[in-house]
Amino acid sequence: MSSESSKKRKPKVIRSDGAPAEGKRNRSDTEQEGKYYSEEAEVDLRDPGRDYELYKYTCQELQRLMAEIQDLKSRGGKDVAVEIEDRRIQSCVHFMTLKKLNRLAHIRLKKGRDQTHEAKQKVDAYHLQLQNLLYEVMHLQKEITKCLEFKSKHEEIDLVSLEEFYKEAPPDISKAEVTMGDPHQQTLARLDWELEQRKRLAEKYRECLSNKEKILKEIEVKKEYLSSLQPRLNSIMQASLPVQEYLFMPFDQAHKQYETARHLPPPLYVLFVQATAYGQACAHMKSSQPPRQDKTLSVAIEGSVDEAKALFKPPEDSQDDESDSDAEEEQTTKRRRPTLGVQLDDKRKEMLKRHPLSVMLDLKCKDDSVLHLTFYYLMNLNIMTVKAKVTTATELITPISAGDLLSPDSVLSCLYPGDHGKKTPNPANQYQFDKVGILTLRDYVLDLGHPYLWVQKLGGLHFPKEQPQHTVIADHSLSASHMETTMKLLKTRVQSRLALHKQFASLEHGIVPVTSDCQCLFPAKVVSRLVKWVTIAHEDYLELHFTKDIVEAGLAEDTNLYYMALVERGTAKLQAAVVLNPGYSSIPPIFQLCLNWKGEKTNSNDDNIRAMESEVNVCYKELCGPRPSHQLLTNQLQRLCVLLDVYLETDSHDDSVEGPKEFPQEKMCLRLFRGPSRMKPFKYNHPQGFFSHR
Amino acid sequence: MERAVSYAVPLGQMEVFQALQRLHMTIFSQSVSPCGKFLAAGNNYGQIAIFSLSAALSSEAKEESKKPVVTFQAHDGPVYSMVSTDRHLLSAGDGEVKAWLWAEILKKGCKELWRRQPPYRTSLEVPEINALLLVPKENSLILAGGDCQLHTMDLETGAFTRALRGHTDYIHCLALRERSPEVLSGGEDGAVRLWDLRTAKEVQTIEVYKHEECSRPHNGRWIGCLATDSDWMVCGGGPALTLWHLRSSTPTTIFPMRAPQKHVTFYQDLVLTAAGNSCRVDVFTNLGYRAFSLSF
Repeated sequence: MSSESSKKRKPKVIRSDGAPAEGKRNRSDTEQEGKYYSEEAEVDLRDPGRDYELYKYTCQELQRLMAEIQDLKSRGGKDVAVEIEDRRIQSCVHFMTLKKLNRLAHIRLKKGRDQTHEAKQKVDAYHLQLQNLLYEVMHLQKEITKCLEFKSKHEEIDLVSLEEFYKEAPPDISKAEVTMGDPHQQTLARLDWELEQRKRLAEKYRECLSNKEKILKEIEVKKEYLSSLQPRLNSIMQASLPVQEYLFMPFDQAHKQYETARHLPPPLYVLFVQATAYGQACAHMKSSQPPRQDKTLSVAIEGSVDEAKALFKPPEDSQDDESDSDAEEEQTTKRRRPTLGVQLDDKRKEMLKRHPLSVMLDLKCKDDSVLHLTFYYLMNLNIMTVKAKVTTATELITPISAGDLLSPDSVLSCLYPGDHGKKTPNPANQYQFDKVGILTLRDYVLDLGHPYLWVQKLGGLHFPKEQPQHTVIADHSLSASHMETTMKLLKTRVQSRLALHKQFASLEHGIVPVTSDCQCLFPAKVVSRLVKWVTIAHEDYLELHFTKDIVEAGLAEDTNLYYMALVERGTAKLQAAVVLNPGYSSIPPIFQLCLNWKGEKTNSNDDNIRAMESEVNVCYKELCGPRPSHQLLTNQLQRLCVLLDVYLETDSHDDSVEGPKEFPQEKMCLRLFRGPSRMKPFKYNHPQGFFSHR
Repeated sequence: MERAVSYAVPLGQMEVFQALQRLHMTIFSQSVSPCGKFLAAGNNYGQIAIFSLSAALSSEAKEESKKPVVTFQAHDGPVYSMVSTDRHLLSAGDGEVKAWLWAEILKKGCKELWRRQPPYRTSLEVPEINALLLVPKENSLILAGGDCQLHTMDLETGAFTRALRGHTDYIHCLALRERSPEVLSGGEDGAVRLWDLRTAKEVQTIEVYKHEECSRPHNGRWIGCLATDSDWMVCGGGPALTLWHLRSSTPTTIFPMRAPQKHVTFYQDLVLTAAGNSCRVDVFTNLGYRAFSLSF
């Protein structure tokens, strides 16, 4: 209808194109109101409500006209056409109105839209602005919070407290009058002061560093100096050795000894220390001799220190060793399967293993004979053993009967009563022995040495019988308390054995060696002679018929030595069985007699034989001779000869038998018989030289 | 072969010496206390040991009960003889007789009440006293021994009243004949002499060894032991043990024993005798028949 409307429009509306017309419309609005018909301006003037009413009216009219037309058409007739025409023209007008209204409506709509669009655009712009601003606000807020949260580094610095600050800081920094009121200034001032202080300290630090450098350099220099000194000192020490020897002050030697001593196991160490101390003390006491010359006791350490050190290797090394040894063991087991016995043997050897170091003591006696004692420590059994050897200044010819006197096995037996050294003194060892099948240590003493009780005491080891302890530790005081007695006993032992040794040589030749100072114990003339002196075995002694009393009294142990002496005069033969206790000469030898003369007489059938035994056994103290009473045995033998003389000469003559007495009485006796037992006069009185009764 | 078990205790010097002493000890004399509870024994070392008989013989006796209650050194020489009076123990050995109070004797450190020495002729050697004899009627003590004399000592005054001489060798033993106060003494000279106490003279001498039946020359002639029963006497020693009738001085029975006898007593009608060298105490009837023997 637009083209229609445009046609119907009066040429008031200049319209070439739609768009430019509209564009021009705005201008034309402003140019001429009367010339141009601007519908847009009309819109503004007209009331939309009235237009709407007009629209409704028009529509109604149209409807009416149509209806009339309809009616007219339906009635038909000639005038109808004019009416219709009329009506058609009316409706055309109405149509035109409607079209205008439509245009207006469209224009209004467009306007409205435009307005809305504009407003919307404005609103959008504002909205955008708002968003921008909000965003900025948020940003600023964030910044603010950041700023507020910002911890200035200065707060991390531990500043000195206010009081200190005001005290210490110089006034130009502290500026008290300003800073007191203003915290900001105060903080600034404090920071300044801090800076100042730090600068000073940094200065000091640099100084100190440089000092330190200097001092280090000095130290270096001195160290070099010292290290250059060491070889010089060594050479001086070497040079001084001859001087030391000359002055008998072997410091170097002693020092070396002490070095090795550090590797000794505790009991050997105790022994070493105590023995050295004792040796030095003894040397000190003998003031008449040049100092430290009288070395009656010298102590030395023998053995391999490296092995001793090897016992205490750190675990890594020992592991390596173990793996090596394992490898070795594997090899050996591949080659040859060790039998159970061999394994047991190895275990035994392991159990009885000795510490590689040993302490050697040399006891020198007056006659220049030396007792060499070597002390070992059995590590697994925690006991000490000793091996002994006696050397003399001159070569000894051992008489046959003296074989056992100085033998290393028995020379130290029973130093203290009952200490035979064949059993281990540590009761805990028994359980260890049971594991590896060792019955007793006796089988091994020849190899290992004897575990005497005094040896344990010298090493400070004490094994109490009542309460066996788990670990027995070496104790110095125990060793010290026993040292002197034991050393003295050892010396007396060696000397008495050597004396016996000499005496035996003489006895075997039938001579009883009586020293001049013991001659007073005997009369000048002794006719009975010793013809035989032999050693007999313990079993043989037990078998003799006249020794039963001694055996029953428990005096014939297997630690003793047994001898048989034969004294003769004429047809009379006197056998004497001698028990020699290892503790000779403090424990006397015991004699048992058997006389073969006019029958066999022993102490069981002849009281006088008993009296003779008593003279020799019980009254031995008279026969001891001068200390150290080494003459006891020989004096006893000599007295035996005298007693036999008396016995034979005082024999009461049997009147019924013819012939003279075999032994005329030469001894001077006051009385021949005395007392209810009718004893013979066996007691010799010196210097009168007569015999009497006790 | 089983060996004799040796003592577990290690023997030091002291123990060895004591063991040797014990082995060579001889007990010469003994005496029972008047109350009968204690026994005193004297040995050759001059020691006297007092044993408690009641403890040792009781049913609860232990080893310790058989040890002496107290031991002390009484004499320097052997204690050859001991007798007990009702209050004292008299011991004699080398020339002296000492008296001890039984009441005090159990205390340690007991000292002798008195000691007396009979007047000896010789001073070179102090003779021993081998026998002590109490004469209750006179309250005196007879001592005899090495100087071949019998000395009588009055127990109250302590004075030596008599000295009976006659033996030519030392006297071994004494015996008292109750009815007539006579003392018999036997000695080394082989004679048994009878002494009258009132007259202090020797009334009879029996030289045993001269009788062939009983003499045993190889043993010697010494008389070691004597016992008398007033009419009868038993003596032995070197010669054989013989029963004598005193009035007639004849040997009636000779007891068949080889060893020289050391002790003999009469007990009722029996003769008990012990030899020092054997372990037996033989019991005989008067007729010489050996009834039985007590043996250790």
